[in-house]
Amino acid sequence: MGERDQMLISSTSDLWEPKSRRNFLKLMAIGGSVVFLPGVVTACASLGNIHGGNARPDHAGSGGAGPGSGGTVTIDFAKGDVAVLQFAYALEQLEADFYTRVVGAFGGSDLTAADRGVLADIKNHEVIHRDFLKTALGSNGFSLTPTYPNVNFSSRASVLGTARAFEDLGVAAYNGAGQYLTDAANLTVAGKIVSVEARHAAAIRRMISPHTGDFAPNAFDNVFSPAKVAGVAQGFIVDHLAFANAPSTFVQGPNNNG
Amino acid sequence: MDNTIATYAASHIDPEVLGRINERNVEIANGGPATSKLTAALALGSIPIALGALANDVFAQTPSDVMDVLQFALLLEHLEAEFYTRGTQSGGPIPSSESVVFATIRDHENAHVAALTQVIQAKGGTPGAKPAFDFTAKGAVPNPFASGNYQVFLALSQAFEDTGVRAYKGQVGRLMSDKQVLSAALSIHSVEARHASMVRYLRGQKGWITGDDRGGLPAFAQPIYNGEENVTQAGVNLSTLGNGNGGVASVTEAFDEPLTKEQVTAIVTPFLA
Repeated sequence: MGERDQMLISSTSDLWEPKSRRNFLKLMAIGGSVVFLPGVVTACASLGNIHGGNARPDHAGSGGAGPGSGGTVTIDFAKGDVAVLQFAYALEQLEADFYTRVVGAFGGSDLTAADRGVLADIKNHEVIHRDFLKTALGSNGFSLTPTYPNVNFSSRASVLGTARAFEDLGVAAYNGAGQYLTDAANLTVAGKIVSVEARHAAAIRRMISPHTGDFAPNAFDNVFSPAKVAGVAQGFIVDHLAFANAPSTFVQGPNNNG
Repeated sequence: MDNTIATYAASHIDPEVLGRINERNVEIANGGPATSKLTAALALGSIPIALGALANDVFAQTPSDVMDVLQFALLLEHLEAEFYTRGTQSGGPIPSSESVVFATIRDHENAHVAALTQVIQAKGGTPGAKPAFDFTAKGAVPNPFASGNYQVFLALSQAFEDTGVRAYKGQVGRLMSDKQVLSAALSIHSVEARHASMVRYLRGQKGWITGDDRGGLPAFAQPIYNGEENVTQAGVNLSTLGNGNGGVASVTEAFDEPLTKEQVTAIVTPFLA
């Protein structure tokens, strides 16, 4: 039939390209195989263990739509600081939605009372971050639809594992985006948010592994490029994230892994 | 500037910095933005303590800004590194259940000292000498390293970590001309916030700061939390965003606030021997 029965994905950005994404979905439909090369597997692994407890597929919020299967949302870095704030807004939408669902599922979950107190606070913060950025962006804002493949909102392990991934990603994203801001006032605001995300990250990690050093796994936090962050975030967003006029240079942080 | 500051400035300040003070006076005369009072900065690299910072809403960031921030950060990291090194020594106050937590923090602060030292040297600067510290603040605080004084140790730990977060936050705007140093500073700043969150939990506090609540710390620690009650971001009062989302308390928790170099110096100075 002229169709490949196997396709190679060497990076998550391959999935952004319309042709390969369509092919990917087509292959899944006809029972073909997709080989994810190490870079993609690493990106997925960086999410940590999101398959806790009795994991079951849950595309909550997406009506079953898979990540990246929706319409394209383009962040145009020619807009300067606005693009960075749009990027932050995308992540805060994801976090706000996630924690709102977590709180909504408290009744059926094995989260302790102490867990719930922390998660309710975090939900409040992320909603406030999201709504602040929405106000700041005005007509430059947009809505994204999250999706949560294989997240079990009734499982403490699944919820905390996913939360850890989001918080660590948010820290790395803000740390990596700082270099692209040109207005010191915007850098200060981003700074005000990232330290709270880091407080969240430490709390979640402590809940997963108390009495250990896991609350802060490195002396230096990650500094991720927008492309790297988008590659991970795309796994939880129905809309297809795209960049226009993406920055051509990225200055690494001390971990040299951005 | 009044006469006394001018006199001090003439004898102690780097000429380049003095020139910027004069520019600043012109700015004010021409109706430039109002700022908090100006205080003088000691010549770079000679003594690790700065009495204050020049307003950074007016001056473009320069390499001397970057070096000044690095030296200031190094001072704060020296303080933390020594605090945790002494606290984690055998016979100290930390219960065995939390020994890993504080060994982790200690190791991080030591790594921060090493990194900042290396960057300063790479830029041709001389790292400020580590000062002598007095963690009893001349007897105002019980010995935090005595085996029975874990709560004192924890209190100072929280004070230093929350201060460090706000200190870095107040300085990153001066690093925009050097993206490598900016990225490094951001990567340290967020780790200090992780430390703060963890230590606050060990003190029975939330990982985040509510209003200007110092969370049971002694009164001398209040300056560390003043300003955290702020609900205005980017010129917008966000109070109503707390509706259904934990109220104004949550709005204050959702954002950490910067401290100026002057404010941080005032907080830290009592712990210099």
